[in-house]
Amino acid sequence: MGLAEIAAGKVVSTSAVFLMLTIVLLAVARRISTSILLFSLQSAIITAQVAGTAYLEHSTEAWVVAGLVFAVKVLGIPYAFFWLVKGLKSPRDVKASTTPAQSVFVVVAMICVSYAAVRSYTFGIRVPEDALAAAVSLILTGAFLMVSRRKALMQMLGLLVLENGIFLAALTTTFGMPLIIEMGILFDVLIGLLLMGIFTFRIRDTFEHLDVSRLRRLRG
Amino acid sequence: MVWDNTFWAFLALVGVIVPLSQLGGRVKPIRALGTLLLLAGIVAGISVAGVCFWQGTPVTLRLPSVAAFPLSLTIDRLGAFFLLLICSVSLPVGIFSMSYVAHHYEAGKARWMWALLSLFILSMSVVVTASTGFAFLAGWELMTLVSAGLILVEGDSEDRIHNVSIYLLMMHAGAAAVVAAFFLYWPYAHGLEFASIRSASANLPAGPRTVLFLLAFVGFGTKAGIIPFHLWLPRAHPIAPSPISALMSGVMLKTAVYGFVRFGFDFLRGGPWWSGYLVLAAGAVSGLLGVLYAIGEHDLKRLLAYHSVENIGIIYLGLGSSLLFLANGAPQWAALALIAALLHTLNHAYFKSLLFLGAGAISHSTHTLDLEEHGGLLRRMPVTGMAFLVGCCSIVGLPLFNGFVSEWLTFRSFLHGSALSATAARIVLPLMIGVLALIGGLAAACFVKVYGVAFLGRPRSVEAERAGEVPPTMRIGMVLLALNCILLGVFPLLVLSSLARLVQVLVPGSTAPEEIGSISRVIPWVAVTLLGTLAVMLAARRTRRSAATWACGLPALTSRMQYTSTAFSKPIRSVFAFVYKPDRRVELLPADQPYFPASISYRSVRTTSFEKLLYRPAVDAIVAVAYQVRRLQTGNIQVYLLYIFLTLVSLLVYLRFLR
Amino acid sequence: MTLALGVFQVLFLIVGAPLTRGIIARIKARLQRRRGASIWRPYADLGKLFRKEDLAPPASSPVFRLAPRLLFAVALAAAAFVPVLQPSALLASLGDFVLMVYLLALGRFFLALGAMDGGSAFGGMGASRDALISTLAEAPFLLGLTAVSISARNPSIAGIVGWALRQNFFDISAVHILAFTALSMVVLAESGRMPVDNPATHLELTMIHEAMTLEYSGPSLALLEWASAVKLNVMLALLISLFGPWGMATNLAPAALGIALGAYLVKMLLLMVVLAVIESSVAKLRMYLVPDFLGVATALSVLAVIFTMIARR
Repeated sequence: MGLAEIAAGKVVSTSAVFLMLTIVLLAVARRISTSILLFSLQSAIITAQVAGTAYLEHSTEAWVVAGLVFAVKVLGIPYAFFWLVKGLKSPRDVKASTTPAQSVFVVVAMICVSYAAVRSYTFGIRVPEDALAAAVSLILTGAFLMVSRRKALMQMLGLLVLENGIFLAALTTTFGMPLIIEMGILFDVLIGLLLMGIFTFRIRDTFEHLDVSRLRRLRG
Repeated sequence: MVWDNTFWAFLALVGVIVPLSQLGGRVKPIRALGTLLLLAGIVAGISVAGVCFWQGTPVTLRLPSVAAFPLSLTIDRLGAFFLLLICSVSLPVGIFSMSYVAHHYEAGKARWMWALLSLFILSMSVVVTASTGFAFLAGWELMTLVSAGLILVEGDSEDRIHNVSIYLLMMHAGAAAVVAAFFLYWPYAHGLEFASIRSASANLPAGPRTVLFLLAFVGFGTKAGIIPFHLWLPRAHPIAPSPISALMSGVMLKTAVYGFVRFGFDFLRGGPWWSGYLVLAAGAVSGLLGVLYAIGEHDLKRLLAYHSVENIGIIYLGLGSSLLFLANGAPQWAALALIAALLHTLNHAYFKSLLFLGAGAISHSTHTLDLEEHGGLLRRMPVTGMAFLVGCCSIVGLPLFNGFVSEWLTFRSFLHGSALSATAARIVLPLMIGVLALIGGLAAACFVKVYGVAFLGRPRSVEAERAGEVPPTMRIGMVLLALNCILLGVFPLLVLSSLARLVQVLVPGSTAPEEIGSISRVIPWVAVTLLGTLAVMLAARRTRRSAATWACGLPALTSRMQYTSTAFSKPIRSVFAFVYKPDRRVELLPADQPYFPASISYRSVRTTSFEKLLYRPAVDAIVAVAYQVRRLQTGNIQVYLLYIFLTLVSLLVYLRFLR
Repeated sequence: MTLALGVFQVLFLIVGAPLTRGIIARIKARLQRRRGASIWRPYADLGKLFRKEDLAPPASSPVFRLAPRLLFAVALAAAAFVPVLQPSALLASLGDFVLMVYLLALGRFFLALGAMDGGSAFGGMGASRDALISTLAEAPFLLGLTAVSISARNPSIAGIVGWALRQNFFDISAVHILAFTALSMVVLAESGRMPVDNPATHLELTMIHEAMTLEYSGPSLALLEWASAVKLNVMLALLISLFGPWGMATNLAPAALGIALGAYLVKMLLLMVVLAVIESSVAKLRMYLVPDFLGVATALSVLAVIFTMIARR
């Protein structure tokens, strides 16, 4: 095995730990810009994983997917987010409903749960356990972010983290997703983002704020 | 034979001669002689216990049976260890009491104090040396009654009686569980002798084993003061006289540990598979909550009482991991954990009684136990201050003092948990390292507060300024205990080798752990390094000038500008506010000018959640059930006759179905 | 010969500690586009302080005088635990990491007592804040070291370093990444660097460690400053030896020792640059946010311990 192959193999397996680090940091992040940067970092790590898999499996499809993920998720979406943040001129705080310490422990518990769940699944199958557990943790973290952050932008970000997790799960279980499916998911996400972007401006213009918990007042 | 007679002498002196001489003696020299005889008796006890512990020769005494219950006392190695603990703490406490009682109580009360103190020591000795169930229970009950009596000798205000009632109630609830545990053995063991109990336990089915373990856990846990059975501890310990508090906290709680070790390890040889987790959880919760409650206190004795809860928690952490290792088939590490727990029992006895005696000395000099009124006592009471510093360092578990050795052994036993095969145990045990580390850190913070506020800085009240050193016998008592702490801290092998042999009997299949040797080898090197460097630096004498602290331009610093105990603990209390749930009230009395009120008062009350969440509902439930049961008492004769009639009928039906 | 090397390691750590501080301060200054003081400045400061008078408040007790000296003795003893050039040190095989952590706690205990003895408000404030931080830092410190020790199956520091030396550099394990992150955060907290405490602040209300040393002067202050520099040096050396010990000499040949020294200096320089970058780019945390910071460290160290069971590496 050449050095490049070893490096590629290492990247795929050890990047799971760095993903967990970003998950923990997302739990404590207090500002929207930090969260966006962490999302960008997560996507970069996943890109590296896709590239590593592409190198090991010698599949050009996967290289295209890696390029797509890099262009869209590492550069495109964060840039769009930053543009949104600047345009909306809303306070930069993340408006979490749990303290950072509590969030961190919830996230740690979720990582343990995902490991326990993945253990029983991967018993006897040739699937990298770390990466799959990281994927499940990403999904759970995305859901947690959507639940515990009250800003509309953070809900979008939670959805994107969740999508990251689904993508990674597909990557590890199928060793390279078919290009069509990945393109389809990406387009879905892009459309969803576009819509959310439009709606955020409308919400802000109508209500002067973006705090989703205040939607309760509409009950009447 | 010699040692049998020595033990008889000890029992006779402590149990009969001294109380009689104190209560009956009309002349003062007789009472003084009685005090000396008490000390002599305790010395006899130490020698018997020492011989039995270090050499392993058992001592047995047979006493006449009471009805169907045989009564005999045997000192085996485990009993000898605890007897040594009791007597070696009672001696300094006795010496301390010589001036304490003389200064604080008038002659009538002083006699009762000495008599009951003597009986207290007797009762505890009977508990740890009993070899039949009856002797054990007799000693157990005597302990509770005598200690309650000692608290009441101090005074009988309504508040006191309320606290003593709670104490007696909870002690008897625990005793009920212990009695039930013993009597569960009645069909299996003849006369409840320990030897027959041991052999009967080997063949017990799983159901009674579980029940026995739970009964022992609850019964001895109530006496030991683990959460949630700790409610009596902060009520009873602070109101007792200081030497008695020292004995209660330092020694009486240990008899509960003795009982639990006897039941759990000697009789049952480990409980069900979940027993380790239960005891670990109890230990962790007691340790954490005990120290958290202690940090918020500024009454010195109540603070120390909560620290007893914390240290019992640490002991239970060791016992729990030992049970867990036993259940997972690792007797070697179970032995290590048990040694750690037993050593911490001994260490805690020494440093906790030292701290309580120090509290007694402080209250003797300053007439108050409120930390906010102390300050600068080290310069005024140097010997007391130094001894108290040794006690503080020991309870925090700093190296070169005895508390460190037992905590270190506990840490190492947790570390071994990573080599087990059961996943749950492999994760839980190393994580307990974090729990114990947090407990240790909180204890350190608390004792920086206690020592810094009480002994260092400037006096915060007139009494503290006028404080003087205490009488010589009080100093001797404290210094003896301090020397013990340092001795066991630097040369732990003195006790550890015999402890290892003791544990080999309790946990069959184990040998002396290698950690004992390694800690005994490294501590002296650390001591040499530290003390050598210190000596070199302190020897370099330079002229030192005394200069007042810069007061930021004010004329001088007053003692009110120092940090108070409440202020010191504020950051920690804020972080852990979810435990305290304080209820805070600030009252402003307005004056004429809008921004200068006449007075501001601040009141912060902590709720102890256990009373609200656990005891209140339990008590209410019991009272509700009692009301329902009261319905049976109608007062109508015919209804009572109906009860008898129904019983007869059901007996006949039962007999019919027996055939 | 190993004894001599062990003694040399201790002296190297102690004598080199002010230099570490000086280099970090110089790098920070350069990052902030200043020229900065010479890297030998801390030595000049220590020399100046040793020549000055030792003052004590009139209300203080012997504890005030004892505290700086005991802290220095503890720092020296702690330096005897850390391997620098060879995978062993004077006390590294006899003692284990629990003993080392508790030795440091002994020093911190007496430092806080000395601060309270000053009888001023700032001493109490420093001691109270330091009590909070050291309480919360104790658990991640011990848990992080536990995780590494479980991986190495050896509780002594020499054993852990020896095991790490035999590992493949590219075989990064999750346990070590998590433990390293947690322990770095603890090092920042325990040595009083940003974002927990600003070592260069002059405002008393923002001080934590400096508030405890406010009353000291002359040789006592020199010993305190030196001891805290030694503590930082020892902790950085501990991080290097536990997580990146490659290059250490396994025999006593001069060539091997030279390589070990060079490797150590390079790694130390790298850590110092990282530390300086962190210090220049983050703001000091408000004190009631420090528990969150240490809570993250605790969570990461708990994860590290759990991963020792899960990860097969």
